[in-house]
Amino acid sequence: MLFDELLIAIMKAVNRERTLSSPYHLIKGKKSGQTIQDIGYYGLFPYFAVMPRLEKRFYDQAVDGLFARGFLQENTDVIDLTDMALSSETPATPLDGWRYRGNEQLFLSRLSLTIQTFSHISQKVNSFDPVINSEEIQLWTKNYLRQHNFRAPETVKAFKAQVLASLEETAVPEQHKMILMSRLSGFGFSGLTWEQISANQGIAPLDAQLNLVETLHAWMHIIEQNRHPLLLRLLEGVIQQSSLTESAQRTEKLFARGFTLQQIAELRQLKSSTIEDHVVELAMNDPYFDYSPFISEEIYQTIVHLSREQQTKRLRDIKDKVPAATYFQIRLALAVKQ
Amino acid sequence: MELEKLLYSTYGFNSFRPGQREVIEEVLKGNNVIALLPTGMGKSMCYQLPAHLLPGSVLIISPLLSLMQDQVAQLKKMGEKSVVAINSFLKPEDKEKIWNSLGQYRFIFISPEMLVQPFVKKQLQRITISLLVADEAHCISQWGFDFRPDYLRIAEVMPLLNHPQVLALTATATSKVTNEIIKYLNIPSPFIYTHPMDRKNVVYDVKRFDDQKRKVEWLKKFVVDCKGPGIVYAGTRKKAQQLATELTNSGLATAFYHGGMEHQDRVFVQQQFQNGELDWVCSTNAFGMGVHIPNIRHVVHFQLPTSVEGYVQEVGRAGRDGKPALATLLYAEGDERLVESIVMDELPTTREIREVYANNTAAERLVEQGIVRETALRVIAYWQSRLPLEGTLRKIEELQMEKIKQVEKIRNLVTIQSCIRQYISKCFEQHLLEKPGNCCVNDGINYSVFQEETKKIEKETPTSWKDRLDALLPS
Repeated sequence: MLFDELLIAIMKAVNRERTLSSPYHLIKGKKSGQTIQDIGYYGLFPYFAVMPRLEKRFYDQAVDGLFARGFLQENTDVIDLTDMALSSETPATPLDGWRYRGNEQLFLSRLSLTIQTFSHISQKVNSFDPVINSEEIQLWTKNYLRQHNFRAPETVKAFKAQVLASLEETAVPEQHKMILMSRLSGFGFSGLTWEQISANQGIAPLDAQLNLVETLHAWMHIIEQNRHPLLLRLLEGVIQQSSLTESAQRTEKLFARGFTLQQIAELRQLKSSTIEDHVVELAMNDPYFDYSPFISEEIYQTIVHLSREQQTKRLRDIKDKVPAATYFQIRLALAVKQ
Repeated sequence: MELEKLLYSTYGFNSFRPGQREVIEEVLKGNNVIALLPTGMGKSMCYQLPAHLLPGSVLIISPLLSLMQDQVAQLKKMGEKSVVAINSFLKPEDKEKIWNSLGQYRFIFISPEMLVQPFVKKQLQRITISLLVADEAHCISQWGFDFRPDYLRIAEVMPLLNHPQVLALTATATSKVTNEIIKYLNIPSPFIYTHPMDRKNVVYDVKRFDDQKRKVEWLKKFVVDCKGPGIVYAGTRKKAQQLATELTNSGLATAFYHGGMEHQDRVFVQQQFQNGELDWVCSTNAFGMGVHIPNIRHVVHFQLPTSVEGYVQEVGRAGRDGKPALATLLYAEGDERLVESIVMDELPTTREIREVYANNTAAERLVEQGIVRETALRVIAYWQSRLPLEGTLRKIEELQMEKIKQVEKIRNLVTIQSCIRQYISKCFEQHLLEKPGNCCVNDGINYSVFQEETKKIEKETPTSWKDRLDALLPS
C-alpha cells in the first residue's frame, strides 16, 4: 500500500463527515475521544497509529498532492473526495494498527539489537555501539539474550532459521522484506536511512516507511501463531491485551466502584469531557454496554434513527435536529449503535 | 606509576594521553581544576579514573542530551556498569528506582535543567558527591560561542552540595571565558591546565570563489581526487542535503546528517561512517559529537562557520590518528551575511523580549502560539529574573555585538596574508612555539600527503532480503 492509498482508504470512510486533519490524527494514533470513536464508527481499525512519528508537514504535502492530482476537491469544512477517488480500489493491506498500536517499533528495536549482537558475537567481535539507545530496550534485550544462551552458535543458527522461515511465510512483496532487512544492522553492515532505501528501491521515503509497518504487522501475525519460539518472545508486552486505552480502563474501574463521572473527573484531575470520551470508548468496545445511566431510551432511539435515516455521523447535524441531546449523549448513542 | 597501573587494570590502556596525568593528579590532590583539552584528547578520562579512587559519586553536568547519551554509552562500552543519566526523558517508574539507589552510582550524569529542580537538589544533598564535573564548561560563559543559560544555574546548587570539588572541562576557552568559569562556579585560584590548541597534523587551507556554484564545482572535483573519509560542513540542513545529493551523483558513498532527521537515521549515518561504509558525510554542525573515528582525513567547510571556536572544534575531528589531515574553508563574496543572520537568529529579538516581559506569567503560552521561540524564552527567562526590561535589552544588544565580533574574527581568517595557524592560536591567546613544515595556505601546502589512498574494504551489497540476512548473520 502506498501512502497516498492509505490516505484515500481512510478518507473514503469519513468522506464529507470529517475534516482534512482527522486522517492525520488516526495515522499518528492520537488517543483523543474523537479519534478513538471514529475508529469504531467508520471501521478504521487497521489504520490506527500505523505511523506514530509522522510529521505534519509530510502529511500536508501528501494531501496537497491529492488535490493536485484530482483526488480531492475544495471544501472548506470537510474531506471531499472526487468520483475518481471514490471509485478507486483500496488495495488489500496486512495493517493491523488497532492490535499493535505502534508497538511494532518496540518489536523492531528488540530485533535490531538482537541481530546486531548475534552478528558481532558470532563473528568474534565482543564490543560494538548499540544501534538502539534506549536503556530500557537494551536491558530487556540483554536479559532475553542471556536466557537464550546467546553465545552458542546453535542459538544464532536457530534464530536465523526462524527469521527465515517465518518471513518466507509472510505474505508481503519481496521488496518490502528487503526494506525490513535494510533497517537492521550487523558487523560491517549498518542499517540504511530512509533516504538511502528510497534511492536504492526507487520509492518515496513515506511509502518505504509504510511498507515496513505492513511487513512488521504481517510478520507479527505469523509469529503470533507460535511456531517460532525465539521470535515469539520478542513480542512480550507488544500486543495490546485490552482493546481499551489505559486511561479508559482506569475510568472503567472507578465507574464500576460506583463513582459518578464528575467524581471520577475530580479524582483523576481530568476534564469531565475526557471522562466522557472514556465512556464512549467503553461503549464502543463492549457489546453489552449499559447506556441507561447516561441517556434516556427515547433520546437514544431518536438519535440512532436520525443517523441511519440521514446517513450521517456528523454531530452538529444531529444536534440541530435533536436539541435536547447533549453532544456527549449523541456520541454515546452513535458508539453504542455499532 | 600507581596511576598507570590503575589505568591499565581498569581500562586496559598502557599510558596516559597528553594532559590526562597532570589533570588527574591535581584532582586527586583535592584541587579545583579547569582543564582545557582539545576534542578527541580523552577529556572524560580526567574524571573516569579518579572516580575509582574517590569515596563518593562523581556528578557530571552535561549540556546536551545527545552528548550525555554518548558519554554514557562510551563508559558502558569501557565496562563501567555503575552509570546513570538523569534527564527529563526518564520515566517516572525508573526515577524512583534511581532515587532509591542514587548514592551507589559511581557516575551520575545530569542535565542542568534537572540539576536545579528542588526535588532533585534534595536527592543530591542526601548522597556524597566527591567531584562535580562541569563538562563543556565554556557553555557557562555568555560570551562563549555556545552559551547555555541553564549552565549559570549550576552556581545555585554549589552551596547546597557543600561546595564539592570541581573539575571544569572544555575544549575551547579564552581567558575571558576561563575567568567566568572561575567566577560562576566560585572556585578561586584553581589549577588550570591548558593544552596547546594547535594540532600539528592538521593543515589549514582556504579557497575563495566568485559564487556558490563554483564552490560546488570545486567540491565535486575535490572529493573525487582526495577520497575520504571526510566531513563537509554546510551552513544549513537544506544545503547539507543538496551537497550530499551532488556527491552521491558523482558516485561517492555519501550521506547527509542533520538534526531534522529521525533519531534512528542519525544513528545509522554515524555507524556507516564509523564502519567505513561512507566516504563523505555532508552535515550541519549537529554531526561530530559522538563520532569516534580516528582516520578522518578531511574537514571541508562549505560555508563560513559562526566563530573561530566552533571552527576549531569542527576541524578537530580530523586526523585524530595523528596522520596528516586537511581542513579546507570555502569562501565566496558575501558569505558573512548568511553567517550573521544565522548568528542573530540564535539570540532573542527585541520583540520577543518585550512580549515575554509584558506577559509575565503566561510566557509558555507565547511559545505555543509561536510568538516567542523556545530557545529565546530560555535565555530571556534567565535574565528576566535578574534584570528589568531595559537591562535585558541592553544585555542582548551586547551579546549581538559580541557575536558580530566573532563573525569578523572568522571572516579575517579568510583574508589574512599571514600564517593561519598563528592567527588561530592568537584567537585563543596562545603562543605558537613551533610551526610544522606543512602548515597553511599562506605558507604553502604540500597536498601530496593527503592524496594517499585509504584502503577500502570492498563489500558486496546484498540485493535481496535473504542475501542481506546472510550478510548480517553469516552461517
